[in-house]
Amino acid sequence: MEAIKNAFDFSDFPRLDRTFAGLVALFLIGFPLFPHSSFAMATMIQFLMFSVYGMGWNTIGGYGGQVDLGKAQYVGIGAYTTAVLLIRWDIPFWFSMPLGLLLSVGWSFIIGYPLFRLKGHYFAIATIATSLVLKDIFEIWTFVGAARGLEISPIKYKPPDFYRLIFREDVYYYYIILGIFFVALFYMNWFRKSRLGFQLRSIKDNEDSARSLGIDVHWAKIKTYAVATAFVSVVGSFHACYIKNIEPEDTMSLDISVLIALMAMLGGAGSLWGPIIGAAILIPLKSYLKEWLGASAGLVGIDLIIYSTIIMLVAAFEPRGIWGIVEKIRRKRRKGL
Amino acid sequence: MSLLNVQGVTKDFGGLRANYDISFSVEEGEIVGLIGPNGAGKTTLFNCIAGYFPVTSGQIFFEGKDITLLKDFEIARLGLARTFQVYGASGDLNVLENVMVGAFLKTASRNQALELSRKIMAFMGIEAQANSLMTEIPVAAQKRVTLATALATEPKMILLDEVAAGLNPSEIEGLISLLKKINQEKKVTLLLTEHVMELVMRLSKRVVVLESGRKIAEGDPQEVIKNEQVIRAYLGESFLKRTSEQV
Repeated sequence: MEAIKNAFDFSDFPRLDRTFAGLVALFLIGFPLFPHSSFAMATMIQFLMFSVYGMGWNTIGGYGGQVDLGKAQYVGIGAYTTAVLLIRWDIPFWFSMPLGLLLSVGWSFIIGYPLFRLKGHYFAIATIATSLVLKDIFEIWTFVGAARGLEISPIKYKPPDFYRLIFREDVYYYYIILGIFFVALFYMNWFRKSRLGFQLRSIKDNEDSARSLGIDVHWAKIKTYAVATAFVSVVGSFHACYIKNIEPEDTMSLDISVLIALMAMLGGAGSLWGPIIGAAILIPLKSYLKEWLGASAGLVGIDLIIYSTIIMLVAAFEPRGIWGIVEKIRRKRRKGL
Repeated sequence: MSLLNVQGVTKDFGGLRANYDISFSVEEGEIVGLIGPNGAGKTTLFNCIAGYFPVTSGQIFFEGKDITLLKDFEIARLGLARTFQVYGASGDLNVLENVMVGAFLKTASRNQALELSRKIMAFMGIEAQANSLMTEIPVAAQKRVTLATALATEPKMILLDEVAAGLNPSEIEGLISLLKKINQEKKVTLLLTEHVMELVMRLSKRVVVLESGRKIAEGDPQEVIKNEQVIRAYLGESFLKRTSEQV
């Protein structure tokens, strides 16, 4: 009961935040009703997907301070589970998504146990390695289409198909991912106030003192890593039905892992709104750069230059991102009064 | 039955022996001081008791239960809390949140953790700093916060490592009455290591003296400071000679 109340209770945020968040929520719900281009719709869906990825990353990476650069492997596990089950055995999304989640979480426990024996940079490097190894396996595994990947052919089904999540119009996908987005947001609102959330923040602060307060640091990290994984896997499954054409390169590449972490860090790691702010900045930027600049002016790769500039700026000036700046200003103002 | 019973604890770091066969016990409700000059092995012994280091040989019992092989967080869960000499906080959590981390050990409910934390902060006199970050408050207040956090785990006993380090005389005065209050009102047994002799002498009914990793004396603080070995350990051979010549 208390947990449910906590999930829906935003009263510890200032009124300005709550008003702004409410307006954004209304905009998100109403967006498809306004005239929009298909490019704008695709960007909005990407924004919501990456917000959820970022929120998942934020549990272990933001609150827990464990920089995880291997989240893409779980996008892959989720996406491939859904695609393989649908293509081979015609198993609909609502069954394959939970199964993909179980597989992802199972895999996260297997690799999480040794991974969390490492700390700091070594942990970050090891997460990259596990993700790349998995991608290489999928690239030669013929059962899942090897490097060519899998294609879900919409002709076989009769859209709108709510069981298999096959639609012709993007608006259906939009509302489904929006639903997932809100579930994730309320979960995160609970998480940040929960025992596990506090334990992680304590771990980030000082692992020795966390252990002295009775926290099983290793287990708390593994558990949270599994939570982060679950978020990513669900959206990965959605990704398969939405994109309909998945390959190891665009589900499991390092770019995606880095983008997930970067968004959360830019917006503000360890805060509720951070990943959403980060996604709201980086996803439109990414779409714009890729679709317009990259194609017309031949500036392929300019997105990477801009990402790395952002990483350097965030690392140098405010490691806690945009939300860190907001909180700093507020703290100063409160003190000044 | 003693609350804490240390039996023949030896700790080696490679070829260096930091603790030689140390035995002592602490009864429920006591305040015991663990004193000795720099490098005597006090913090090492603390870390062995708290499960932070594995012991080389010997056994440690808490409430009659063998805790020698338990991990540090398992020992904390049994009700044997500790504070650290140096508190390296990055300052991500504010004071209230810090105390709540401790309170979450016994309950998963946020409301209960919040309630307990508020009570303990009032008890420790730090409720005014609830929303400050650890980096924004003075050292004395930081020490109170770490103590409050340890108290929030509702321990039976706290190991205090150099709790008075870096405090001025008036702050030490406040700390002494606070520790007495914790011992009497919260019924928490205390074992403290300390350089500041005054604090130990005034608080402890009993002190254990370590020197170069060995236990050299134990007993009433007033008697222990008259012990020749203790004086030699603290002030050196020449001082002992000089005083005996004068007498």
